[in-house]
Amino acid sequence: MNPSATENIYLPKIAVLDRVVDEIVEVKTFHWHFEDPADQAAFKKFRPGQFAQVSLFGVGEFPASLPPSPTEDATFFTVKKVGSCTTALHALQPGDKFAVRGPYGNGFPMEEYEGKNLVFVAGGIGLIPLRSCIIYALKHREKYNRIQIFLGAKTPRDLMYRDNLREWEKSAGVECYLTVDRATDGWTGHVGVVGSLFKKPGVEVAVDNTIAFVCGPPVMFRFVIKDLLDMGFQARNIVSTLERYMKCGVGKCGHCCIGVAYVCTDGPVFTYEQIRKLGEDI
Amino acid sequence: MKARILDRANVLKIVDLLREQGREVFAPFGGRGRDTFFDLVTNDNRDQIEIHLPNPYYPPKRFLLPHIERLFRIQRTNGLIQIEPTYREPRRAIFGIRSCDLAGIWHLDRFYLGREYRDVYYEKRRRNLFLVNVVCTDVERDIDDDCFCVCADTGPAARDHFDLQLMDLGDEFMVVAGTPEGEALFADPVFRKASPNHVEKRRAILSAVRKRFKVATSWFSATVRYVSLGKVMEKTWEEVGNRCLECGGCSYVCPACTCFTVSDRQLGTQEAERVRIWDACALGGFTRMAGGHNPRKAVHDRRNRRFFRKLAHHFIQRELSMACAGCGRCAEVCHGDVGMPSVVEMIRRASAEVDKHEPVSH
Repeated sequence: MNPSATENIYLPKIAVLDRVVDEIVEVKTFHWHFEDPADQAAFKKFRPGQFAQVSLFGVGEFPASLPPSPTEDATFFTVKKVGSCTTALHALQPGDKFAVRGPYGNGFPMEEYEGKNLVFVAGGIGLIPLRSCIIYALKHREKYNRIQIFLGAKTPRDLMYRDNLREWEKSAGVECYLTVDRATDGWTGHVGVVGSLFKKPGVEVAVDNTIAFVCGPPVMFRFVIKDLLDMGFQARNIVSTLERYMKCGVGKCGHCCIGVAYVCTDGPVFTYEQIRKLGEDI
Repeated sequence: MKARILDRANVLKIVDLLREQGREVFAPFGGRGRDTFFDLVTNDNRDQIEIHLPNPYYPPKRFLLPHIERLFRIQRTNGLIQIEPTYREPRRAIFGIRSCDLAGIWHLDRFYLGREYRDVYYEKRRRNLFLVNVVCTDVERDIDDDCFCVCADTGPAARDHFDLQLMDLGDEFMVVAGTPEGEALFADPVFRKASPNHVEKRRAILSAVRKRFKVATSWFSATVRYVSLGKVMEKTWEEVGNRCLECGGCSYVCPACTCFTVSDRQLGTQEAERVRIWDACALGGFTRMAGGHNPRKAVHDRRNRRFFRKLAHHFIQRELSMACAGCGRCAEVCHGDVGMPSVVEMIRRASAEVDKHEPVSH
């Protein structure tokens, strides 16, 4: 990957918004495509875990995970409204234009994980980057051993990608466990933090020959990591994606640097073994 | 490398030759007191160019990375959106750049061009930049108390990365060519052949000048080791942090700092521009994310970050050059005296103290 000398790494390509799907409060999924089919074809080679820079003209640019799997014929972002750029994105209507550049980052080495068990642990919107890997793994089901999904949300209303969840819950090839912190809206399922699912009767977490994907808010991350290590997971078999304020996405602006690592080019996917050595809060 | 001799009275002939090539030439001028600056040479100010003067605080890095630079314009017409990149590809020369700043530019080259992604804006400005280095030989004017190029191994005489290098021998200047473009200027009859005497004189002046630096040792290598191994105590960073006023000055005067932020600006209702602006890891908002979470809040964490980025072995190895040119600007502008030389010294002292008590393991 060494773009030609004349290529402008900061230049985004025009994208058109197709449709918007409400996920949960303040979180929407934006389906889009590049105006130029050549850009679309080039972009489709992304790997699970990579990200893109999304431009809102006159407002700015922000990094966004890529929730679709490269095996799907879709390009979309799922974005929570938090700052000026994401607010501007939320205000767009189908047909409106914005711009995208990428994909960037290392992504999950899904080929390396072939033959292993996959355990996905997500809290809240931490499911956004993991959705890509889950769909990818299910598409290549024969290449992986057991697949387990543990998903936590604050309330049942905070569960996202509900169509996918229903599918995963029904599917024979995957064990999918859900939990909420507070049972509202007639929830009859498990209640508790996501780590409590590991000890739920009838649940047996695959530990040997397993890769654990963990994504979620910092508090959840800390507790889940502790649970996994206690269960016997090795730090190098726990992977996550890190988030940082980013301006360029290509290792130049310096904002996302943690210790020796640039989250944009060395990450965003890191093993817990690497994260521990970064020497700074994540 | 070829060398020639130039009479003192003819030294600005180099500026003339470069201007005749159609280049914008920037050279150092003196203002009031300590104030010095690089400015565009015109027919009017050409004779005021100063060869020996304190190095301007505003580093020549700005000729490659302007402190505010437009990346592109975005125009909206009838639902059509156009993005137009704005490139500047000037033919420029810097006359009188110091060896430390030359090392700074070399570091920027490694950082912006030497890695996976190339920065096309930097590249276009860099491609036609001609560099005339002046060796710091005037101990009264060129060198001040905070210069530490001798420790950073970047000066007083640069070994490479210049097109031409000037060295003041008194009545004459010795001119060394570092590139074919530099050597091409020797075709002008004003340049004479150098004799072994000139070479000997140059050597003698240089070895005398080297002894006139106040900061002659800064224990860089020991500090690089402590920083790279994570052996610097939290307490030491806190001491550094306590003295930091968070003005960001050290980063803005640094010839080797690379960080920038990107911002969109509206230009009327149908047009906007995206600009990049120098940014500094000393500032609190540097890592603050949308929503307000800031993983690097404490001042001392941010000080730690700056010195780690400049001194950690990992980065030195990656760019094959240290992100410190030894110019001493950060030391001069810092109100809390936590510029590079002081911090190197603080780390070395504190860590050596710990080392003394640590058992040796084999």
